[in-house]
Amino acid sequence: MRIDYRIEQPVALHAAFDVEGFTVLLGASGEGKSLLLRAIAGLTPARGEPFDGMPAQHRAVGYLPQGYALFPHLNAWQNVAFALRGSQRRVQAMHLLERVHMAEFAERYPSTLSGGQQQRVALARALARRPQLLLLDEPTSALDPVTRDDVIAELIGEVHEFGIPALAVSHDPHLAAVADRLVLMHEQRIIQIGAPAEVYANPANGAAARLLGHRNVHRGRINGAQQLIWQDGGIAFPVNSDAFEGDVDWTIDSEAIRLVEAREGLPNAVPASIEVRHVMGRTVQLGVRCGRGRLWISVPVDQVILESAAVQLPAEAIRWWKRDS
Amino acid sequence: MTRTAFNLGLPAIVSFLTLLLLAAPFIGLAFATSWHSFGFTDGDGSAIAVSLCYSLLALVLIIALGTPLAWWLARHRVRGSWLIDALLLLALLTPPLAMGLLLTSMYGPYGTAGSLLERAGLALTNSGPAFVMAQFYSALPYYVIAARAAFEGVPCELEQMALTLGQSPWRSFVCVSLPLARLGLAAAIALAWVRALGEFGAVLIVAYYPQGIPVKLWVNLQNVGLSAVYPLLWVFFLIAMPLPLVLGLAARRRRLI
Repeated sequence: MRIDYRIEQPVALHAAFDVEGFTVLLGASGEGKSLLLRAIAGLTPARGEPFDGMPAQHRAVGYLPQGYALFPHLNAWQNVAFALRGSQRRVQAMHLLERVHMAEFAERYPSTLSGGQQQRVALARALARRPQLLLLDEPTSALDPVTRDDVIAELIGEVHEFGIPALAVSHDPHLAAVADRLVLMHEQRIIQIGAPAEVYANPANGAAARLLGHRNVHRGRINGAQQLIWQDGGIAFPVNSDAFEGDVDWTIDSEAIRLVEAREGLPNAVPASIEVRHVMGRTVQLGVRCGRGRLWISVPVDQVILESAAVQLPAEAIRWWKRDS
Repeated sequence: MTRTAFNLGLPAIVSFLTLLLLAAPFIGLAFATSWHSFGFTDGDGSAIAVSLCYSLLALVLIIALGTPLAWWLARHRVRGSWLIDALLLLALLTPPLAMGLLLTSMYGPYGTAGSLLERAGLALTNSGPAFVMAQFYSALPYYVIAARAAFEGVPCELEQMALTLGQSPWRSFVCVSLPLARLGLAAAIALAWVRALGEFGAVLIVAYYPQGIPVKLWVNLQNVGLSAVYPLLWVFFLIAMPLPLVLGLAARRRRLI
């Protein structure tokens, strides 16, 4: 489904892209992502397709806002039946609750359900509307971090099962990684669209890399001597610059950074101090201070951490993008 | 330990004393009432009927006109809304007697609106409609202010959610706003009811006849004395109490016993 919306107030925003399967619109907070969903749902003034000019109650969308907005005075099945009419509404509501594995909670009120359970009831309620498009606003924000991945896996499974295109807006790179299609938004503009694998492999610029959760994204400057000067880190190191000179965003994978012994005096080794150890299964993410900047380095959990450490940034592992003025 | 007990006990003691203060006049009434010669004077029965019927009518009008206004005030921010607030406060703080005088000068036989309405056959002095009008003006601002606060407590997002689920704005109001605002609305209705039923000053000026209970209490005091006031007062409590009591309990989903 093609989305093409233009919003003037409270922020000027134009977004045009296709929604296929489970599509995630990834952007930082304050970009107007939620506003775009509200515009598509007809809850804020905007022009665009689909549903241009239709009142909210006539738009065939299933809208799940942040926190899900279940009606607190109705139990789970009554919430789902809210959009239904006729004598069979309870039966239909129960059928929908069964499809999202929530039938046993039909008599429970929203306040007694967990975040994930509320999300599934809200999904069933949205589906009762028979929508042409599902709109999900920050679907991971109200979830417990421990169960989040499972809940999202179930949500995506259900969206695929129902066969309705879904647009989720989020600032969560974890959610973006499991999308069928990824749309990146920066400064109220769409900056990149594609399959997650493509987008993760080739971020369009530094802003895209930051959105995708790359940790080592910094500003710098490349000089005529093919050296990248990282002002915050107070260091310069060689880079493949194709004779470019100017301001850049640059990044390096945390696995590519080498942690070496400072006293050995290796070429291009920059002294650094280890600030924090973040154990992640079989690897450790080390937060390493370089001047005013910080680099994240990934090392095996059993690697001996040297007392006087230095880092080497291999030129071939560094990616950079020209910065617009 | 002693300190904790003191901290826990003090609010209970203060609460008990406050309740005792509140109950004192009614305990006095129970003792002052001459139970062995409990009886009514002429016209007490019709005063009860007048108060009950016209107060119910005034309450229906207040709910019918006040609810849309309260909802609109809760949901829309308009430039100069402070003027609306000032108008509500003006109606609220006008002394009842003064309100009666203002109503007479507008709706009385020599008033701008009154003379026109009288020509159309609607007399707003010393008549049933005049009685209802006085109660309406006295109780409406209380209802609107309380109901507005009740609607403001309902998240806008839930009303909008109802729209995205295909419901009309009216159905969204009935199925979402009203039930979620029920506690506050019940309080607003109870407040309007007791205010309308107990109105004396405005009713005295606008509609001395037909006499409702508050005016009849005054007349009984003047003509007979306290012995004719207390029986009617007990009846007043009896008819005034059930509606706010039942509303409060129903809104909290609790039972009387």
